[in-house]
Amino acid sequence: MTAVTTEPVTNHNDATREAVIDVRGLVKTYADGVEAVKGIDFAVQPGEVFGLLGPNGAGKSTTIGMLTTTLVPTEGTASLAGFDVTTDAVAARSVSSVVFQDPVVDRSFTGRRNLELHARLWSVTPEQTKIRIEETADAFGIADILDRAVASYSGGQRRRLEIARALISDPQVLFLDEPTVGLDPRIRHELLDVISGLRARGQVTILLTTHYLDEAERLCDRIAVMHSGRIVALGTPTELRSELGDEILELRVDGNAEATLDVLQARGVADDGAFAVGSTLVIPLRSRSAAEAIAAVHEIGIGTLAVGARQPMLDDVYLRLTGDRLGGN
Amino acid sequence: MSALTSELTVPIPRRPLRRSSVSVAAILAGRRFALTARTPRELLVPLLTPVLFALVIAPALKKALHTSASYESYVAVGTIGLLIPLNTMFSGISVLVDRESGARRELLAAPIFRPLLVVGNLLVAMATTALQVGVLLGFAVLRRIHFHVGGSGLLWFLAAALLFTVAMYGIAETLAARVPRSEEYIARLPAIAIVPWFLAGSLFPITSLPLVLAWFARFLPLTHALALMRWGLLHDSSGLQNIWRTTNTTAMASMSLAVVAVFAVLMTTVSIRVFARSAVQ
Repeated sequence: MTAVTTEPVTNHNDATREAVIDVRGLVKTYADGVEAVKGIDFAVQPGEVFGLLGPNGAGKSTTIGMLTTTLVPTEGTASLAGFDVTTDAVAARSVSSVVFQDPVVDRSFTGRRNLELHARLWSVTPEQTKIRIEETADAFGIADILDRAVASYSGGQRRRLEIARALISDPQVLFLDEPTVGLDPRIRHELLDVISGLRARGQVTILLTTHYLDEAERLCDRIAVMHSGRIVALGTPTELRSELGDEILELRVDGNAEATLDVLQARGVADDGAFAVGSTLVIPLRSRSAAEAIAAVHEIGIGTLAVGARQPMLDDVYLRLTGDRLGGN
Repeated sequence: MSALTSELTVPIPRRPLRRSSVSVAAILAGRRFALTARTPRELLVPLLTPVLFALVIAPALKKALHTSASYESYVAVGTIGLLIPLNTMFSGISVLVDRESGARRELLAAPIFRPLLVVGNLLVAMATTALQVGVLLGFAVLRRIHFHVGGSGLLWFLAAALLFTVAMYGIAETLAARVPRSEEYIARLPAIAIVPWFLAGSLFPITSLPLVLAWFARFLPLTHALALMRWGLLHDSSGLQNIWRTTNTTAMASMSLAVVAVFAVLMTTVSIRVFARSAVQ
């Protein structure tokens, strides 16, 4: 499979038959005519952490909405552990849990009461509930505050409670919808540790949406980059980065960066992988050395404000895919 | 914080769930009741106006207008027609709170038949209404307001009160699903909960209204509910006669009960459909 492409990507193959999350040709058009998701395909294997990465409006939340059965797909199918989200929605919900972007808790209840309610709704027996509450509370560091009203929790404590709650029913699929948005940096890093811990256990398949690239790179086994309702790249973080080669040249130019890029591409200094973001050009070096590329740039007579070579990051892949498209619209 | 190193040792069996709707409704009603119990004002505030009418205003009117003692009983029952809409509409506010800052999305993500969310709320609205009607009647009895209750009369009263509560909660749930903010909900509350009360024979017979309004009042479910409640609690069939203009009390009561029952079924159906549409797009 091609890891990075500017065309819509699918990753269905024979291996997807065992997929815990299986999405095929999913389309969502809202009543007002907005096409939020325009036909996406992907499959997530058991124990995998799969990231949906994209800017606001890319279609990530709509995709999660369809998978959690709060939105009805316009076309296509999706299943969780073999249960179709449209025709077998209750069963699909029974094998999944969601941690929402915003706090979704009964604030006047204690943390324990919130966990117990989830357990009852997901048909966990009282004996299992008791043991799992103790285990998850210890694991997420909320044992000491479990009998306090949630209204008194800090943002980080509440988010940890919500993740613990989602795991009480031992879901096969866990949806994390932008789990760190709005949290301060310290709490955000704590939560990333928590999610890394879940990944290490490998007992639950996680679908994570985020627009934080570092988060996606750190947590996800594979990433689908969404843009304007389509998946424009899909692969492991390493695969995505490798499309830009081992090293890139970053130029900040004095003048029109797009026009400068055209010149560099016409003169063979930059290939189709190069892109402009504001006044900065990012040029994959491929087999050329940084010194050779810089010499070629100066030879053409392009004025630069700053020049540097570095290894490509996921940010570069993301900006190339979404920035290119945005610029082209 | 502690690292997530421990294994969770109790695997939950992987299975699609098969549970009775009754048990799920009980879980949801238990949650709603616990939330309501944490805010006692939800129970007390709707009581204030009806109690004021029954215990203060009705005796004052009786004295000022030189009416008979039965007028106090008439108004005491009439205030139930204010209490039920007020309480059910206040219950609807908690639906909005759940949507705006509560756990509604968690409930929507749960493996349950979603209309049971409405049923769970309805059960609590019925329970709190029953409690409040009991308190109102208790105060009335303490105030030495006289009721004339027989076995069948009590059944007519309970049936009318129950069905009217169900219907009014359907309106509350529908409105809560349709309006975007609680401010808009509260702004519409008086028109739904209070205006019909003045036209439905609560403080005076509908025949005292201008002719057009009297005809309009005959189509109000609250008029039928109040006439039934007075027939049940006071053995007073004048309200039914003012609606139907016949003399067969049982037939009139049955027809009025049918009107209230149809209203209840209709509003409950509408509320579930509107809820489903608002919850799942």
